[in-house]
Amino acid sequence: MPKVQLFVTCLVDSFFPEVGEAVVAVLERHGCTVEFPFDQTCCGQPAFNVGYHDQARAMAEHTIKVLDGTDGTIVVPSGSCADMMINHSPELFQPDDPIHAAAARVARRVKEFSSFLVDDLGITDAGASCEGRTATYHPSCHGFRNLGIRQQPETLLDNVAGLERVELPDAETCCGFGGLFSVEMPELSASIMSTKLTNVEASGADLLVGVDVSCLMHLAGGLRRRSREIEVKHIAEVLAEETRT
Amino acid sequence: MNVPVTFVERAHRGIGNRSTAAGEVGARRMMSHRIAASADYPAMEEMRDQARRIRLYALGHLDELLARFSDEVEGAGGHVHFAADADEAIAYIRKVAEETNVRRIVKSKSMVTEEIHLNAALEAHDLEVVETDLGEFIIQLSGDTPSHIIAPVMHKTRQDVGELFSEKLGIEYTDDPTELNNVARHHLREIFLSADMGISGCNVAIAESGSIVLVTNEGNGRLTTSAPRIHVAVMGMERIVPTLSDAAVILEVLARSATGQRLSVYTNIVTGARRPGDPDGPEEFHVVILDNGRSRVLAGDAAEVLACIRCGACLNVCPVYREAGGHAYGFTYSGPIGAVITPSLMGLAEWHDLPYASSLCGACLDACPVRIDLPGLLLKLRRDAVSEGLGPDGLEGALKWFTRLATNPGMWRGATRAGGWSAKLIARQGWIKSLPGRGSAWTDYRDLPAPAAKPFHARWKERQRES
Amino acid sequence: MNREDFLERVRSAIKVSELPPIPEAPPGGLVPDLPRAGVTERFLEQVEAVDGHTHLVGSDDEAVHLIGVLLEQYGATDYLAWAPDHLPVAGLAERLRATPLDAVVPGDAEGRLEHQTGYTDLLVGITGASAGLAESGSIVLEAGPGRPRMASLIPLVHIALLRERDITQSLSHWIADHAEAAADTSNLFIITGPSRTADIEQTLNLGVHGPKHLHVVVLGG
Repeated sequence: MPKVQLFVTCLVDSFFPEVGEAVVAVLERHGCTVEFPFDQTCCGQPAFNVGYHDQARAMAEHTIKVLDGTDGTIVVPSGSCADMMINHSPELFQPDDPIHAAAARVARRVKEFSSFLVDDLGITDAGASCEGRTATYHPSCHGFRNLGIRQQPETLLDNVAGLERVELPDAETCCGFGGLFSVEMPELSASIMSTKLTNVEASGADLLVGVDVSCLMHLAGGLRRRSREIEVKHIAEVLAEETRT
Repeated sequence: MNVPVTFVERAHRGIGNRSTAAGEVGARRMMSHRIAASADYPAMEEMRDQARRIRLYALGHLDELLARFSDEVEGAGGHVHFAADADEAIAYIRKVAEETNVRRIVKSKSMVTEEIHLNAALEAHDLEVVETDLGEFIIQLSGDTPSHIIAPVMHKTRQDVGELFSEKLGIEYTDDPTELNNVARHHLREIFLSADMGISGCNVAIAESGSIVLVTNEGNGRLTTSAPRIHVAVMGMERIVPTLSDAAVILEVLARSATGQRLSVYTNIVTGARRPGDPDGPEEFHVVILDNGRSRVLAGDAAEVLACIRCGACLNVCPVYREAGGHAYGFTYSGPIGAVITPSLMGLAEWHDLPYASSLCGACLDACPVRIDLPGLLLKLRRDAVSEGLGPDGLEGALKWFTRLATNPGMWRGATRAGGWSAKLIARQGWIKSLPGRGSAWTDYRDLPAPAAKPFHARWKERQRES
Repeated sequence: MNREDFLERVRSAIKVSELPPIPEAPPGGLVPDLPRAGVTERFLEQVEAVDGHTHLVGSDDEAVHLIGVLLEQYGATDYLAWAPDHLPVAGLAERLRATPLDAVVPGDAEGRLEHQTGYTDLLVGITGASAGLAESGSIVLEAGPGRPRMASLIPLVHIALLRERDITQSLSHWIADHAEAAADTSNLFIITGPSRTADIEQTLNLGVHGPKHLHVVVLGG
């Protein structure tokens, strides 16, 4: 039974605990023992992306210290936070700083949730069903471009019983969230979002799925201003639904 | 030459207007042309890798290559002027114009001469300067600035051009692009053949032969460098590669990335002036090698941006560029490359908001033929801005508070629980429609999900207790 | 700024630069793996794809006849051409009804102006070509004595004569075999189709400054 550490991310912790519960349910169903390092908070990405390295470093150091003493794969239900922990956290510390080595150890263990299922556990059919729904998948940028996450979640969705997956037009274009960009340049962010939502509507889906709750909360919040016909879910919520027996 | 507004203010003028919409259509079309051309060329990826190696090699050996280039230009009878900044470049060109009795100057499209505002400086000394690239000609007639590195009038509609030509060239109004094109051809033809000096930019310079390479589709690059008796090429000092073979690699990726063509219509390689026995060509050839902040960029941590080959592919894929329009960037260079190069060249003090004009989606890195890590460079510039006290207004206090919470797990848990409780007061069915103060930046455009009444960590704890 | 100070400033910048790792040896060209067989067909196809016209002829006579027809078709009574010894078709000038123009532009400013102004309404230019590039549908031209630049640049119609044996796979292939080509002439240029612009609403228009019509005549065999 593989033991995994769940790094749930700050947004899931405070806004979307049900996504965290879905992640735990799916992982346990597939034989994982899930541990939750209780002192975890935020990986530091919000500060890092706006250039506040001192603050980012403090948060990254905290995260690294919380995770370094644990064992097993660190599963993160976010491509963006996983990218931060894998590609950026180590570089916040001087090579001779002991935290640098710890950050590198942690980075090697971090895996985004859907790619952990497919790449590490070899699961392509998570045994979920979602009758009569049509879903489209938005590949969030950091996970897609920096970690190569796209085919894994799409495969998992393709194998959900009763779910039809349709392509999202212009899928690879950013949704406009961009972390603090969404509030630093909100009109631009919303303008980009609007193009994305038009594409979501054009896809014909009644369910929008992603692997990052950050982009999804931006899109869901925008969708509520134009139509309530389309539901927005993190992939773990889809995979946790109605297990087939 | 700063425009007295911020990126956000300029972007707001662009969002949703007709020019930006026209530009977005153009950018998307150019993007799909690039993607098709790359897919059609099996060697594309290895050519990109090689092009990147060549550009980085050139930057690391820039002093040697420029010295060799300069020797070779002089060996072929040309003249070289090293210009530390815009003023020195302009002064030299004026001096040449004066010494050779130049009155009329034609120019082929060149971003570097836009950068140094050459036209205005020459016109101030009673020289007639005519832009000859159709797009740049339209820009010049309308007193506008380019909105795209390679498609300068992408923001203009055919009706805009029709009205402009009818007003400025005295023709009957038409918005038929073919007729407008014919009007420009006729108008510019006589000017070309009677111009005294041609000023060009330089897409690539070749050190081993002292050559400059210009690519154009219209032929104005060849006319500018062949018809007038004096040819002056202005090159950013980083444009250089060692050999013709290296230049070929750049050319193989440049047009494909820019317009989706395999090669531009005219690839024009100029080595010196007209030689004895040549039936035509200019009598004099001058190259102005321009620093203008580039050595400072080279010495800094965004030096990689100098590998740019100015194809514009990063603009076409950038969602921010497409929504804000090229003018939002406030300077010659727009899009992701502009957001990096303008503050690097001109300093963060004036341009510290440009590195924030990105969602960091990374589409630019994917598109860049020489794989410049534009998102990484934007992050470096943001870090530099913060360390110089030029971070976004009002962000520091909030981030410090957030960091304090995030590094104290007990406080973190307390704050997330408190967030959940207080949200109950303003949320309806789990969503918040309106927030006061800075929060309105979110809720002006989208609903905000209410923080959970019971955060994940609390639920986890409950579950532990139950089992 | 003088050269030495300028270069010294560059040198000291490189020393402290945070560039990604720099290759030690000059990287050089890269010749993609493209088959030699079938280059003529690919070349003809690709020239058409970039809006050029192609003509494959089997003899000099056929070429002369074709050019005569083209001149007539465009209504040209004169033309600007490369010197006979730089064209791959013998006796062209003698056998065409139209008259060749003087291609030598005077060196002085006034003479130059007068001569070039005479090109304003030029209809046809005839040149040779050093090579054809199959992959891009391009022709390579080298200016020099007897080979005016203007003949391929000013007229409305450019007729280029190319020997079939001079067709090669791509730009990279040709340059790999002609590494000194840039130094050997004041102007080496590669033409890929007729002059074009898409500046106005990305609408394609041919012949904005350079020729509107490009005819590539390939002399087979």
